[in-house]
Amino acid sequence: MWETLAQAVINGLLIGGIYALVSIGVTLIFGVVKIVNFAQGEFVMLGMYISFFLATQFGIDPLVSLVVSMPVLFLAGVLIQHFLIRRVLGPNDMPQIFLTFALSLLLLNLSLMLFSANYRTVHTSYSDEAWHIGGLYIPVAKLIAFAVAMALSGLLWVFLHTTDLGRAMRAASQNRDVAMLMGINPNRVFAVAFGTALALAGAAGSLLMPFYSAYPFVGQVFVLMAFVAVVMGTLGNVMGALVASLMMGVAESLGIQFVGADSGLIVVFGLLLLTLAFRPSGLGARRGR
Amino acid sequence: MPGDRKPSAINNAAPTNASRTKLNRRKFLVKTGGVLAAGAFGAVPLRGWAADPINIGALYPSTGSMAQIGIGCVAAAKLAVDMVNEAGGIKSLGGAKLNLIVSDVQSDTTVTRTETDRLITGNKLSAIHGCYASALTLIASEVCERARVPIITGSSSDQLNKGRSYTFTPFARASQFAKAQLQMAKLVSEQAKVAVIFENTAFGTSTSNGLKELAPGEGVEIVMFEPYSAGFTDASPLINKVKASGANTLFSLSYLNDLILIVRTVKQVGLDIAINGGSGGFVMPDFYKNVGKAAEGLQGVAHWNHDVNEDAQKVNAEFKKRTGEFAFEYAGGLVAQTFMLADALERAASADPKKVRDALSTLDVSSGYAAMAPGGKVKFGPDGKNVYGRPVGVQWQNADLASIFPKEDARAPLLKT
Repeated sequence: MWETLAQAVINGLLIGGIYALVSIGVTLIFGVVKIVNFAQGEFVMLGMYISFFLATQFGIDPLVSLVVSMPVLFLAGVLIQHFLIRRVLGPNDMPQIFLTFALSLLLLNLSLMLFSANYRTVHTSYSDEAWHIGGLYIPVAKLIAFAVAMALSGLLWVFLHTTDLGRAMRAASQNRDVAMLMGINPNRVFAVAFGTALALAGAAGSLLMPFYSAYPFVGQVFVLMAFVAVVMGTLGNVMGALVASLMMGVAESLGIQFVGADSGLIVVFGLLLLTLAFRPSGLGARRGR
Repeated sequence: MPGDRKPSAINNAAPTNASRTKLNRRKFLVKTGGVLAAGAFGAVPLRGWAADPINIGALYPSTGSMAQIGIGCVAAAKLAVDMVNEAGGIKSLGGAKLNLIVSDVQSDTTVTRTETDRLITGNKLSAIHGCYASALTLIASEVCERARVPIITGSSSDQLNKGRSYTFTPFARASQFAKAQLQMAKLVSEQAKVAVIFENTAFGTSTSNGLKELAPGEGVEIVMFEPYSAGFTDASPLINKVKASGANTLFSLSYLNDLILIVRTVKQVGLDIAINGGSGGFVMPDFYKNVGKAAEGLQGVAHWNHDVNEDAQKVNAEFKKRTGEFAFEYAGGLVAQTFMLADALERAASADPKKVRDALSTLDVSSGYAAMAPGGKVKFGPDGKNVYGRPVGVQWQNADLASIFPKEDARAPLLKT
């Protein structure tokens, strides 16, 4: 019984690390640029395909291809922010919603056309490996993914709190007008924020590739959990999103284990409703930004 | 029902005489013209001119979500037509060649309806084959029934055998697959304890219920019966449950992506359990490419396998040469189906779809490419079902699918994992 419970928690934490990379991206964009990026899942998908093609064409390990997928998606983020998002920033939310939603549909259907609906997997030496400790097991690929995800989240935290650009980002997220008065160029800050968020999505894609299949709809699977985590962890709060993501992973795993294999999401959304009922602005609200 | 046959016999009475005279005249011309011209020009170029080609419609999804198998089906359909034509075409029709008219049904039910209609109205077809996927085949079959064009299909849906007279299904039905899976569980252990996990969709629920109903009769105990939501991110919790159930065989009724995750997770956990992945995507070459060595020893069921007999192995070799992959169940089945059509055309001595349908209904073969199926014999009952049809149990061995069940069809011993 304890063994099953412990195993369920381990499973949940490991997958929660991936949810965290996606949700931190969403919450960063929301916090700084103040828009909801519905296309975040599709950028995870692009990250996966980048790693897939680098692995199959050039034999590059998906984890190594992180150094390609992250910069490529960072650049894509900067360009999207500069040419698309910047034009719709204003008091009206509707154009922003439509823009990112349209972006999601466009990327989805483009990739269906280019890559077809087939499932693509990459086989690495560690894909099917696991460490066995007592009666428990820890899949190596997921452990690596979790560790890198946590390291990247940590780096982001350090960046936001110790560098000028990071502080500027936090300032712009708190009050754009005052930040501008202080000499911060919001367009530059927004571009970096959007790029960073997409780079995280790309990282999630590369980290997933050794143990998950790439297909055009793959982003949708992860983005749902990410949105739940973003709301639970307080909108715009990076640390909140991280903690909430790990909680979501564990809640889903426990739900499947002890409630029913089709009830993982029921438990997750039950938890979300409870949170909203008792702490409407999310778990991260008290700590501030 | 005997009543089912009658209307078609009456309907066919009228055109019979007219087309027979026409055909006899054509035959006469073909023979005399052929002989006369052969002296003057040599026989070879005239053979194409002599007999009108026979149009066979092929409905497959070569784009969209089902495209992967659909494209393989089209390749097999072309191979089959080439084989029939190289062997001299339809001799009773003056060596007429089969002409394949391929139509893409785009993995979409609406498109399937319009494409089937368009194919039938736009071409003089003798018969149609397609669409492999049950959801699409059911619709194509409806259109064919209305237009009175025979359709022969590898789809396993039992619904295709209800109230239809132009639909022919030469291979095992879905209901037979469940039974075969349960019997295979007993190969692994006399005390078969089966865990059934299935996605909570129409496909998963209906198939799993079939297994549940049949299990007691086959002496198989189901120790876990659990639906899961398709498209999960992590199979670990589910496999954790399977482990706790103490099962020695796992039936996973899943689509490809979930199944890949499940198999990989079972290996990671180090769980000692026989896995039966059923049919569909599981018995495709792509499955092994995705899962790799972890697929070794996994069992499944198929309506056709490339080692069933020598003819099948020949087809497999040729298919491999053309596509680089072994002939999967639908591909090999399609070659057999095309030869069944050729047999019917030969006996009908007519390209008229109604006569081809009648000839198909009296098909009875036990040798040659047309009989290349598990069981080795094809004869259609009044419901269009092959009375000898049965599934074959297969296992992944050395990156290839080997037939292991039932005894009569086994070509390799069961690999214990």
